[in-house]
Formats: sequence, C-alpha cells, structure tokens
Amino acid sequence: MTNLDQFESAFKSSDKAIYTFNRPRFARVLVVTDLNATGLSGFTEQIRSYLAVIDGDQVQWDALTADDFQSVQEVLEQIEKRKPDLIVTYRHLKSNAWQWPYSLGEYLDVMTQATAVPVLVVPHPDAGRAHSHSLVNTDRVMAITDHLTGDDALVNMAIGFTATNGTCWLSHVEDQGIFERYMDTIAKIPQLNTDTARETIAGQLLKEPTDYVAACQAEILAQDVPVKMERVVVMGKRIIEYREIIEKHKIDLLVFHTKTADHLAMNGAAYPLAVGLRQIPLLMI
Amino acid sequence: MHSVPPYVTYLFATLLVAMIFCLALEEKLHAKKSVITGAFAAVSLLLAAVFGLVHPETVILLGHPIRLPVYIPGVDWEVIAIILGSSLFVDVTSKCGLFTWIAIKLTKASGGDPLRLLIFYGVMTVVFSAVLNNVTAMIIVGSLSSVSLAKLRMTDKLLGFLLVEGLLTNVGGMLTLISSVPNIIVGNAAGISFVDFFLKASPYVVVATAVTIFMGARLFRITSLKEEAAKSQAAQLVAGFDENDGIESAGFFRFGTVMTALFIVAMASVSVTPFIRDLGMGYVALAFALIMLVRYKSTADRFYQAMDWDLLAFFGCLFIVINMMEHALVLELIGDGLKPILGLGETTGAGVLLFASAIASSVTDNIPLATMLAKILGTMDMAADSPFWWAVIFGANLGGNITPIGSASTLVAVTIIHKNKLPMSFAGFVKIAVPFAVVQLLLAVGYLLTILR
Repeated sequence: MTNLDQFESAFKSSDKAIYTFNRPRFARVLVVTDLNATGLSGFTEQIRSYLAVIDGDQVQWDALTADDFQSVQEVLEQIEKRKPDLIVTYRHLKSNAWQWPYSLGEYLDVMTQATAVPVLVVPHPDAGRAHSHSLVNTDRVMAITDHLTGDDALVNMAIGFTATNGTCWLSHVEDQGIFERYMDTIAKIPQLNTDTARETIAGQLLKEPTDYVAACQAEILAQDVPVKMERVVVMGKRIIEYREIIEKHKIDLLVFHTKTADHLAMNGAAYPLAVGLRQIPLLMI
Repeated sequence: MHSVPPYVTYLFATLLVAMIFCLALEEKLHAKKSVITGAFAAVSLLLAAVFGLVHPETVILLGHPIRLPVYIPGVDWEVIAIILGSSLFVDVTSKCGLFTWIAIKLTKASGGDPLRLLIFYGVMTVVFSAVLNNVTAMIIVGSLSSVSLAKLRMTDKLLGFLLVEGLLTNVGGMLTLISSVPNIIVGNAAGISFVDFFLKASPYVVVATAVTIFMGARLFRITSLKEEAAKSQAAQLVAGFDENDGIESAGFFRFGTVMTALFIVAMASVSVTPFIRDLGMGYVALAFALIMLVRYKSTADRFYQAMDWDLLAFFGCLFIVINMMEHALVLELIGDGLKPILGLGETTGAGVLLFASAIASSVTDNIPLATMLAKILGTMDMAADSPFWWAVIFGANLGGNITPIGSASTLVAVTIIHKNKLPMSFAGFVKIAVPFAVVQLLLAVGYLLTILR
C-alpha cells in the first residue's frame, strides 16, 4: 500500500530551486593597500586589467594608500564613507606576516566580517606566490560551496566576474566526513537499512545541486549570457577537493561565502580556504 | 432453510452488534481491524459448531474428494482477489511516476492560482479515487496540497483544501464498480456490470463534485488572485516543480501509463470478453498486478511486504462473521427489520434506506454494512436495476463524509491535517462536513428517485 510519506517525499523532491540571473553591478570599487602612491598606480592598473569584465566608464575607482589609515577602525570608517560595491585588497596589510602563510592579517579579518561588501583578495604583491595565470584575466572562475542549491547570489557573482566567453565552474563538495559520521550512526540503528540509507541519502545530497546547476545552465542559455558553465558536484574532503579542482582547471578566481548569520567568524571551510589558497585571487562575499 | 432457536439468533445478533461497536472504537481499543474481526470470526465459528449451525462438507474437486473447512466457502474470494490485485497493481504502477506526473502537471497548469488549484485538485481527487482507490487518492492529492501550498506560502488555505479533497474522495469513490469496496461488494451481489455502474454513477459524481468544490471555495474563501504581480509570482513558484523528477525510467513510465489505460479497459470489459468473463475481475486485477511486478521481479517481495494485510485479513474474517450470521438467521432478522423500509416502495423506501445507510456508515465501517445489506438484498431477489442497491451504494459511500471516522480516506485527510499542525477536532470536522454531506445526500436522493428509478 502506498503511504503518505512516500508521496510527500516525491513531491518535495520534485520541487526544484529556480535560478534567476541578475548581473551584479559595481559602481564604486575601493582598492585598499599599504602601498605608496607610486606602487598603488601599478597595482590598480593591474587589478583593472584583471577585472576588465566589470570595469567600464561608469565604474569609479577609489584607493587607500598606506598613509590613508593607521588602524582597522580607520579602514572601516573609510569604507563607510566611500560606500564601495567591491573592495580589492590583499592579506597582511601593514605587516610582514605575509611571509608566513598562516593567517589573513587583522585588516582583512575584520573587513570580511564587519562589512557587507564583497572583498576581492589578491595575492600579496611582495610574496611572489601567485600562479602565472593569476591576475591576468578572469577566464576561469569557480564558485565553491557546500550548499549550492538556491544560492543565486553566489552564482550571479561568479558569472558576473567571468570574462566574456570564459568558463564558470559551479562546485558543490559534500563533506564526506560528516556523511560518514551519520552513516556510522545509521549502521547502529536496526530499524534503518544501512545500504539503502547510504545509497539514497548520498544520491539525494548530490542530486539537488546537480539539478540546480542544470537550472542555472538553462537560465544563462535563455538569457544569452556569453559564459560556459561547468558542474563539479562530488562528495569528498572539502579543502583537498577544492585544491585539486583549482589546480586541475587553472582557476583564475575563486568565489565563496565567508559570512555567517551572526557575522562573528568566517563560515565552514571559508577560513582555511582564505588562509591556504594564496596563489589565486579570492572573491569573498 | 434450517431452523435455529431464537435465543441462538439473538446471541449471534449481539455478537454482530458488539463487533460493529468494537470496529467503531478501533482507535480507542488500539486494535487493528483484522484482529477485531478475527476474534469475532473465531468466536462465531466456535458457537456455530457448538449449536450445530455448520458442518464440514466434502466437495469433489477434479475427481478428488476434499474436506472443506466451514470458513472457506463463506469468504467472497472474488472481492478479496479484486482488492489484492488492484492494490498491488496501483502500488507498483505508482513507482513509474505517472500519478505524480499528472499531479504536478496540473499544479503547474493552475499557475499557482488558489481557486484554479482547488478545482484541479478536486477533479484530480475524484478521478484518482475512481481509478485507484480513495485512500491512495487522498494520500497523493493531500500530500501534494501541503507541499504546493507551502511553496506558494498559502498554508492558511491548506485546511480548506484538505477537507474538500477528503470529502471528494468518497464522491469519486462512486464513479466505478472498483472505486470502493462497498461498490465491489454491492455491485457483485447485484450483478451490475462495470460499464453500467459507470454510466449510472457518473452524472451524479460530476454534479456532486462541482457542488462540493463550489461550497468549499465559498466556505473557505478560496478565490482567484487579483493582482498581476501576485499572479506572476505564483506562476513562477509552481514553475519550480519538475514533473519528470519522479520518473526513474521513461520506458517504465510509458509502460505504466499504457498498463493503467489497459487495466481500466480490461476491467470495464470483463463481462463481455470471452474466457475472461469466466475468470472475473479478480483474475484481471491479479494478472495486471503480476505483469507490473515483472518490472521488479527480483525485488517483488518488497511490494508484498508493503501490502495492507490488515485490510485483507479484515475482509476475510468479516466474510466469515457475516456467513455465520447468515447461518444463525441474523441476516434474516435484520431483513425482517428492513422490510418496513423496503415496503415503503422504491421511492420513499430507497430514500430512507439511503439516509439510514449513510448514518450507519458515518459512525462505523461501511464495509460490514455494505456486506450485510448486499447479502440481505440478495436473498430478496432484487433486480440489478433496483434503486435499493443504489441506495446502499450512495449511502455507504457518502456516509463516510459525515464524520472523520466514517471512511478511511477522510481519516487520512485528518491525519494530513494534524501532520501539518492544523487544528481539527472530531466535532470540528463534523461541524464543517455535515452541510457538505447533507447537500451530497439530498442530491443523491434526488438523482436516485428521478434518474435511477
């Protein structure tokens, strides 16, 4: 006999997240550096060339040099005053700690949490860790998350930064560790069939983001957006998977969420990514 | 007819009343129907043996004498076969995704407009109740209603949707001979063919459906969206449903669709199909279930496990109890009691019988009632087109709309209501449902006395 839960599950499963494309607009970009005026000019030029896809006559570029601020508070005040739509900066402003790849530096740490503005973090100009393809263009952009379904904001941002005729990867890595922990628990419950649970839960966890990427692909095709979209939906260890994908596809820009609901700390895998991935630019939204 | 001392007849009559009472209190007793009727069947058989009402018979089957237990011939195996085969067929066919596909297609076609959604879901409830069974129909449409209204952020309308759908399951359950168990039992006893049943019942079902939806829309204030922005947003939200999500294989989907159509055609043409007419509808239902099971041949046992064995055992035991009541002349006693009603003639008598059946089915299971009345009317040599048969069919089906325990499908509706944390007491249900039931019953009486007489 059919049961209630069976059909309710079927209908809930058929309820798919719809994607709506909205190109993000950046009227004001603020470059926050600890360079002097001479260094700033070359740096800004490089950034504008790299971000050609969002640049244009209507975009106003502002910059802070080393002399414009002496503390985190002053940077936040400048951001509040200039109201940028995008901040471009790098790790370890006004510090030599960039030599040791174990933190972000106090300025960036606060900026990513205390403001609602997306922050583009580029490799430190002095560190020499950038890949050869970094800061050249944004032909290959990847959005990463552990919950892609319905995240229009992340996808829009990734597409918005992808150069014309470039490729945008939408990546969803389901945490293998968490999954195995639940499977271990299920294995100890006699009422639940472990094999069925493993197969169906894994399938459903990956099906939802897969369906969402299909919806995104259909939408950008319908909207005639000149971007090729690729899908990476897997189960694995997040940081390791991301590193492999970045290396494999020579990603020019990584886009991910950093903010938690309470804005107290970076979410999930964001902090280790922000600290560890120093070779390519990161767009932290 | 053998003679039975009156005290024995009254003893068995008391047993019958006690069983009906226990079935009405099934929830309170925390006992499954099959256990209740099984206990009464065991006691009835024992008492029948003690009083010498039944004797084991030896029958000759293919030249071999077989000693047949007394409880075997009492069971209507054709009814059991129809219910077993249909349930299995519907269960396997639902795996092909056809029913969810239809349900989601209609949801999308409504554009998310509440009134259009109520009309589409109402009609779908009736059709699914007719083709499948009213419990499955309520499960499909009820669960879709809760999911789609949540998506449309219209959960304040869910109670109205679920109640209207619950009330319509019993209307849809009258559309065909196999749509509900009382139809199968009474139809078989009366000798009404599938096509004849459909032709006579469908005009009433159409009118009662339209009236019920109209009343539901008025009572629960379910109206169309007025503003363009709201219409556009609702259409966008329902567009997110993917009707193909539940389809595992396009080939099996097509196969399931074709088989469902063939099942209806085969059931409708049993009485005129050579060879098949000798095997009956039970054979057709079981054969179609078997064909569908071929798709899941290695895991067919999963479907056997999922069968509602409580329901089937309930029928088996119920038939035994009724058979023992026949032997104890209890049915004759009830028949005598019904004679004044039947004596009122085909007009007043049928109308009174319809209302009496409805009231009786509203507080207890309509299946024992239908089984008992079918037996009694059968012994009176009623013609197949007698309005008394239809009075029992209408009464037994529509009586389920008066209380939440009147039918299994209204009970499912209340279960979904409670699952969604909506307030609904027994009295609250009756208060809302009675006006609907009264209108449906008055329509039925009018139809019975003007069209079917």
